[in-house]
Amino acid sequence: MRILIIDDDVDLRNLLERYIRQQWPESQVDQYDPLDHDIPGASFALGSYDVVILDYMLGRGDGLQWLQEFKRRADCPPILFLTGAGNEIIAVRAMKAGADDYQRKQELTRERLITSVRDLTASTSERTLSPELAARMEGQSLGARMQIPGIKVLHLIGEGGMSRVYLASREGDDEPLVVKILRSEVMSDRNALARFMEEYALVERIQSRHVARIYTHGASEGHAYLVMEFFEGGDLNKRLGGKALPAEEAVRLFRDLMFALGDIHEKGILHRDLKPQNLMFRTDGSLAVVDFGIAKHIDAADRTGHGEILGTPRYMSPEQVQGRALDLRTDIYSAGVLLFQMLTGRHLFDGATAVEVALHHLNTPPPALPEPLARYQRLLDKLVEKDRDARFRNADEVIGFLSRLYFQAAAATAADKTQKLLH
Amino acid sequence: MDGKGKTTAPYNRGMNDEAYKVTVAKDLEDLIPAFMRNRNKELETLKVALAAADFEQLRQLGHRMKGVGNSYGFAHVSVLGQGIEDGARSGNRASLESHIAQYGDYLSKVQIAFE
Repeated sequence: MRILIIDDDVDLRNLLERYIRQQWPESQVDQYDPLDHDIPGASFALGSYDVVILDYMLGRGDGLQWLQEFKRRADCPPILFLTGAGNEIIAVRAMKAGADDYQRKQELTRERLITSVRDLTASTSERTLSPELAARMEGQSLGARMQIPGIKVLHLIGEGGMSRVYLASREGDDEPLVVKILRSEVMSDRNALARFMEEYALVERIQSRHVARIYTHGASEGHAYLVMEFFEGGDLNKRLGGKALPAEEAVRLFRDLMFALGDIHEKGILHRDLKPQNLMFRTDGSLAVVDFGIAKHIDAADRTGHGEILGTPRYMSPEQVQGRALDLRTDIYSAGVLLFQMLTGRHLFDGATAVEVALHHLNTPPPALPEPLARYQRLLDKLVEKDRDARFRNADEVIGFLSRLYFQAAAATAADKTQKLLH
Repeated sequence: MDGKGKTTAPYNRGMNDEAYKVTVAKDLEDLIPAFMRNRNKELETLKVALAAADFEQLRQLGHRMKGVGNSYGFAHVSVLGQGIEDGARSGNRASLESHIAQYGDYLSKVQIAFE
């Protein structure tokens, strides 16, 4: 296999080359520095490569222009286009210009690079042999077939237990969007599908800056889809990175979550599946809740098998574990579990299995916050009360509590300053 | 690390010791000396570009930092790169000075563990 890497950063070129050589020791990797050379001319043997990895910002050149030039050549191999975060509109343009795949540099891991290169170089027989690859190809193919008025589905960017997620663009202005397409397994449950469509019809009517904007939903090619805003800031899982957030930031995000829940509950909707992957960030840092209602209908814990098995049980309320009727206090509990994680960088409860974690929610008192975070203990306790009658009743109550907490802290600071002035 | 541009400027007051710790995959260890040399060269280039008010170069350098930092596990390099790119776009000299000083501080203190 021959691969050409075009990027203006030598360290990134070296890193990509390392990843490729580790995976395919026999491969030949050439680096091309656009700071030293102009765009390869007609005599350059572009067709001798199996894949070209091309950066968007090339220092002196524009990667999109290079892409367009390459794609005009008959010998152009598949191109993996690299963009920086916050450049989704460039990713949209690259895909429209013929890029065969794209990756956001900030999220480009070894695994993602290898998967992408493997997909781009796999022969038909390999695709048939590998179920994983075949599934991805099927996902790409489904996206290409979807007919959504005013929307162009461009590229598969993620797969979950319930749906496939695609980068899409709005015709006319290339605004990046996300299209979620329900999996066929979900589609086969008529009741679940009906509820999904009904709930998203409700969510579309929520006017809240803390809730993901759903532009439209419908069905095409026998698959239900929804079109929603694209979040360039990623999700809370990524923001946390396995660590705690500064307490002020954690509480600010939690307060935004409460505003979101207030708006959601006001419409009679329960989320039921609050977890870090469902809290997204816009470029301006604002938080928005995504993925409504699906958890009620589908048991994701049984389906994923990709290390996400504890995803839902980790944030489940005791009444969810017991399979009892739910009300909005279930979301309050899950939000409390999220607050604990944001403050400490740890899960409220850990366990070897989903069942073990679920049972902790039922029976185990929550751990105390570390001493520097003690001022949030009462808040947390009232969020994750096992008896929902002892819990905050709604988001407004939580926001009221947060306000009092803030004013108490402000008053204490002011009193402290006064004391210092007096002495 | 070579400690160039070492500063005790107050810009990174919010950073605790943990923020200077980076874990890099063991099999990338041999790439890190060159990576760090290039980052320190980059810091010097940023300072020269700032002195010359060359905002286009600052923007390009910031963008490059943003792209390469996370890839090696140096998330803070990406964060600072974003800040430099934004500062260059808006021509915000004070922000650029602050971010470049933070970069110098970070490079002088960063502790790398290989796992």
